[in-house]
Amino acid sequence: MDSRRRLVRVGSILSVPILWFVASRFGLLAGLPAPVEVVDTYVAELYRDDFWISTIRSTIRVLASFVIAAVIAIPLGLLIGRYTVFADLTFPALEMLRPIPPIAWIPFTILVLPAAELSIMFITFLGAFFPILLNTIQGARGVEVEYSRAAQSLGADSYQTFRHVIYPSALPAIHAGMIVGMGLAWVNLIAAEMVAGGTGLGFLTWSAYTSGSYPTIIVGIITIGILGAASSMLVRMIGHWQVDWATEQPA
Amino acid sequence: MSKHDSTTDDSTTAGPTPETTGKTGAIDINDLTKIYDPEGEHVVAVQDMDLSVGAEEFVALLGPSGCGKSTVLECIAGYLDPTDGEVLVDGNRVSKPDPKRGVVFQENRLFPWKTIKENVEFGPRMHDSIEEGRAESILDEMGLDGFEEAYPSGLSGGMQQRAELARLLANDPDIMLMDEPFSALDALTKEIMQKKLLEVWERDNRTVLFITHDVEEAILLADRVVVMTARPGQVKDVIDVDIERPRDPEVVTTDRFTELRERALSVIREEAERALEQEDGA
Ligand SMILES: Nc1ncnc2c1ncn2[C@@H]1O[C@H](COP(=O)(O)OP(=O)(O)O)[C@@H](O)[C@H]1O
Ligand SMILES: [Mg+2]
Repeated sequence: MDSRRRLVRVGSILSVPILWFVASRFGLLAGLPAPVEVVDTYVAELYRDDFWISTIRSTIRVLASFVIAAVIAIPLGLLIGRYTVFADLTFPALEMLRPIPPIAWIPFTILVLPAAELSIMFITFLGAFFPILLNTIQGARGVEVEYSRAAQSLGADSYQTFRHVIYPSALPAIHAGMIVGMGLAWVNLIAAEMVAGGTGLGFLTWSAYTSGSYPTIIVGIITIGILGAASSMLVRMIGHWQVDWATEQPA
Repeated sequence: MSKHDSTTDDSTTAGPTPETTGKTGAIDINDLTKIYDPEGEHVVAVQDMDLSVGAEEFVALLGPSGCGKSTVLECIAGYLDPTDGEVLVDGNRVSKPDPKRGVVFQENRLFPWKTIKENVEFGPRMHDSIEEGRAESILDEMGLDGFEEAYPSGLSGGMQQRAELARLLANDPDIMLMDEPFSALDALTKEIMQKKLLEVWERDNRTVLFITHDVEEAILLADRVVVMTARPGQVKDVIDVDIERPRDPEVVTTDRFTELRERALSVIREEAERALEQEDGA
């Protein structure tokens, strides 16, 4: 990347605190805490166990739900993408559930699941599950028949064709789905934590609001933003590492 | 038509078998018909085609584009089910792809997500028969040493085609089915590839069915050139290429080569004109 683009990008990042500073300095948004105030609160929070427990809890919830979602959605998507019978059997039902907003599940899951923890995890899981599933299906359908034929003519049985041809050629699409899925997992997690209560960054941010400690709200938002960006980056890195063949340039 | 026809007279289905000849890789196409989309457009690609390719024979299949050459090859490979008739390999009916019947396509079908070495070792890995150093020595023979860890997208077209041939050879098939494998290459690369293929074939005793629409290529490489009719494809003429082996690309300047080429050209010209008329009519 050339240096001018880098400069513009740094400017883009810096514009947020600058606008914030201007808005709070001139009272453009009533109740908006000043940056200095938030920095002070942030430092104070870093010394509180509650902040760290919330952060770790939320991170574990997202990662666990995301991994479970991927482990279920990827094989399911590959099967739906490759076998018409399987698609007819499962896809219509899944398509019916998909448009339901995740938040709408919260009262129901709290009612039927034995612990609030499980219902938060389930909502988070849903956020990651559908994007990964849909992208995997699309990726598996897009595999050119010539590759499977070539594999079979080299002696691959149907499991080996799946493992060595269908799965790797669907990988770029799967990773696109995982990036979107990771983002939605955070969205759903925070919403669920705000409603279900207990622990987590969503709850921390919401209870800061109810108790009137406005700088802590911003601390919560910033922390969620940082963790969200970090987990997207992690998924991207795994993606790059797994599909490096797609980026190699001709000699 | 074929020197192997005499061995089929005691049975209506079985062609020459390894028991009768001691060699493997004989192909028998009996009454092959393939209709695409029988309920809808009803494209008769191949109709009542008969052809025998002897074990270890090199046969070129020549014909105007769209005449059904690839269809025949895909039936032999086991990718397509014949609408009627059958394909036998060493007396057994073909019903699905098999590593004994290796295929090279026109555009390379190397797996883009595997390195060149992984591609070459793909077949042996599928049946747990990887030999240390074998992939390297085949790649070396194909002039691809140093590219083991490269991905296919990092290679030129000619190199990709060589890698694909290497992948096929590493799997040690009885039959090599090649669908216009060199037609996308420039003249010089094509000549190098033809030479390599002849070298490999003269050494390894494999049956080759080589599809091309290039008359000179067919005569240069094959023992027999089978010319197909325009669609629906059938065998129009079979030309025995009585030019001594080992051959090299210089034989194209000999009188015998010119004679054979003229003969093939006149047959193919007729069919190409018919094919054009078909298109006009359609
Ligand atoms: N999947 C298909 N569906 C319908 N028609 C097809 C299909 N594949 C090939 N054809 C038609 O069958 C004919 C023979 O095709 P092909 O075997 O590819 O010819 P060739 O390899 O000699 O150029 C062509 O007219 C082609 O358009
Ligand atoms: Mg063709």
